[in-house]
Amino acid sequence: MEFGWSDEDRGFRQELAEFLAENLPDDWEERSKDGPGSDVQARFSREFCPKLAERGWLTQNWPREYGGAAASAWRHIILGEEMWRVGEPRSSQYMNVNWVGPTIMRYGTEEQQREHLPPIARGEAFWCQGFSEPEAGSDLVSLRTQARRDGEHYVVNGSKIWTSYVNHAQHCFLVVRTDPESKRHKGISVLLCPMDLPGIEVREIPSVVGERYFFEVFFTDVEVPVACRLGPENEGWDVVTYSLAYERVGAARYARAALTLDELARRAEERGLLDDPRILEKLGEARALCEASRLLTYRVIDLRERGLPPSADTNVARVAGTTAELAVANLALELFGPEALEYGHFAESHFRLAMTAGVAVGTTEVNLNLVASRFLDLPRE
Amino acid sequence: MDFELNEQQRAIVEAAEVLLARHAGAARAVKLDAEREADSALEAALDEAGFLDVALGDETGFLEAALVTEAVARAGGCIPIGARALVAPGLLGRGVSGPVAVASAAIAGPVRFAAEARTLLLDTGEEARIFALESGDAQRVRSNFMFPMGRLQVDAGRGEALGPGSGERLRAWWRTAVAAEAVGAMRAALDVTVAYVKRRRQFGRAIGSFQAVQHRLAHCAVRVEAARWLVYETAYDGAPAAAAAATAAYVADAAEKVHAETHQLTGAMGFTREHDLHVWSMRLQALRLEAGGLASHRIAAARERWA
Repeated sequence: MEFGWSDEDRGFRQELAEFLAENLPDDWEERSKDGPGSDVQARFSREFCPKLAERGWLTQNWPREYGGAAASAWRHIILGEEMWRVGEPRSSQYMNVNWVGPTIMRYGTEEQQREHLPPIARGEAFWCQGFSEPEAGSDLVSLRTQARRDGEHYVVNGSKIWTSYVNHAQHCFLVVRTDPESKRHKGISVLLCPMDLPGIEVREIPSVVGERYFFEVFFTDVEVPVACRLGPENEGWDVVTYSLAYERVGAARYARAALTLDELARRAEERGLLDDPRILEKLGEARALCEASRLLTYRVIDLRERGLPPSADTNVARVAGTTAELAVANLALELFGPEALEYGHFAESHFRLAMTAGVAVGTTEVNLNLVASRFLDLPRE
Repeated sequence: MDFELNEQQRAIVEAAEVLLARHAGAARAVKLDAEREADSALEAALDEAGFLDVALGDETGFLEAALVTEAVARAGGCIPIGARALVAPGLLGRGVSGPVAVASAAIAGPVRFAAEARTLLLDTGEEARIFALESGDAQRVRSNFMFPMGRLQVDAGRGEALGPGSGERLRAWWRTAVAAEAVGAMRAALDVTVAYVKRRRQFGRAIGSFQAVQHRLAHCAVRVEAARWLVYETAYDGAPAAAAAATAAYVADAAEKVHAETHQLTGAMGFTREHDLHVWSMRLQALRLEAGGLASHRIAAARERWA
């Protein structure tokens, strides 16, 4: 066991910082106030991600055969930290690198890999995730969106909800039921569904998280080629589980929380608040939570780097990450008081995007269930 | 970054656990508590086997010392393990013989192992001071928190001053050591509670199958895991003041919550001398109050980073 970064890793972080200083526009804070899913940020990523790709950084942790540099998972988390610190200029493309790509590598046919991996590696691909449904949230396996096999197509009917990033997605990582008689984990399949097929309708769901954040996607007799199926028919649940394990700690959101906290402290100092022990106490509390989140995420990266299968450590890390993010967000509002009520205020932007932490990518309760059963080995009913 | 124990670290932990299985354990902790004594036999055995000197070993360091500290606390060992294995070597750059107590001139109240200690490390603010303790320097007091406690009666000017900045060094190592002990105690408290809820049946099922119970324990598991890695990293880095304070802040809060949840979930049985939980749960309360306690750790964590 040893901690700390190698000289190469520190050098990489430094290079990244310089790269960001050079490539982020002066009005970046304003541009990024609506989060990674906003149209502004997606547009920006179209020029930003290819630059990352050019330097070999975007998918550096991927195997060489898929356009990566076989770099360590640590390199990838450093990239994630530096990106989330500044509000994720990769826009939704971070998902592609974190879990869409790796899942296609694991389960995709050669043809699917040839089709999807190079655009991701070049920084040109936009994906969305078709998991949740109106009647299938935490209980994802109760999903009903149906894909009926008809020759060389699946005919998809149903709807997905709370989908982010649909506004610019070219493909949807779509989870469907291919066996209409099936229940629960059996009979599920994953489709890599092009978003320009006839019969797909997208509606924005206005929310307090920000503009163009949540969408509902309706599928009416959408004909998806069978060749788009990822993994075996009716056994897609394994594919979903695999992707979730990568997703849950892929985004280094704690890095944004930690940076926000540094910024909060800086602004508190400007206002002479750092003499107040009550304020220091709250800042210290949040700092401790961010540190805890960082190390638990590193633990998961460490397991991944060893090539071990995803474990409940992922859920442990996610719970701690959520706790840290929400603590910082609440503190941000408290420190600035009514100033934070104006849309786009530094504290408000952070709060708004942090609000979803305990719900997105599986609720805290689902994560706790998995910690209880897999980490503590507590009995099910 | 490497989160797995290497061969040498594993060997140290395993050897310590073998020794602790023979010389420590909950039953022994209960017996010593009734006699209000520290475990001099355990301390001697660990000392003889070299476990108390790993911090300054040729091939071992403070991370290994933290692992030993955690293992001793987890086994219920009733010795000032953090003070001997981490604080003394961290502050002095050398080991000391015999039990060590750590205290602050600014904090009133009983001190762990004060009556047994031969050496006192005292935080006086800017400087730390070291004292050779004599009989009569501390008065044993009764405590329900499963450690021998004493009230110090020493003149702060008597000891030897350790130079400017030594106060901060002492506080950082003290925080790290207390956190390491608390990690061991939290792991044990959680282990016995998880075993209990799997065994205990009500309403026709194991109470550990109720979600209301599971989520509370899952939260505890998250806290204990985080606390563990925080302690390891802080010890590995040599207890930088900011990291030590953040770690102690996280751990003190976790200790309070693990105490509360483990007692809630073991019901009345958890309060008895018959059940082992109290060995660790009561110690957790003592540990979380030490070295200034939660508020002081949090304030220090913020000051060290930003002020």
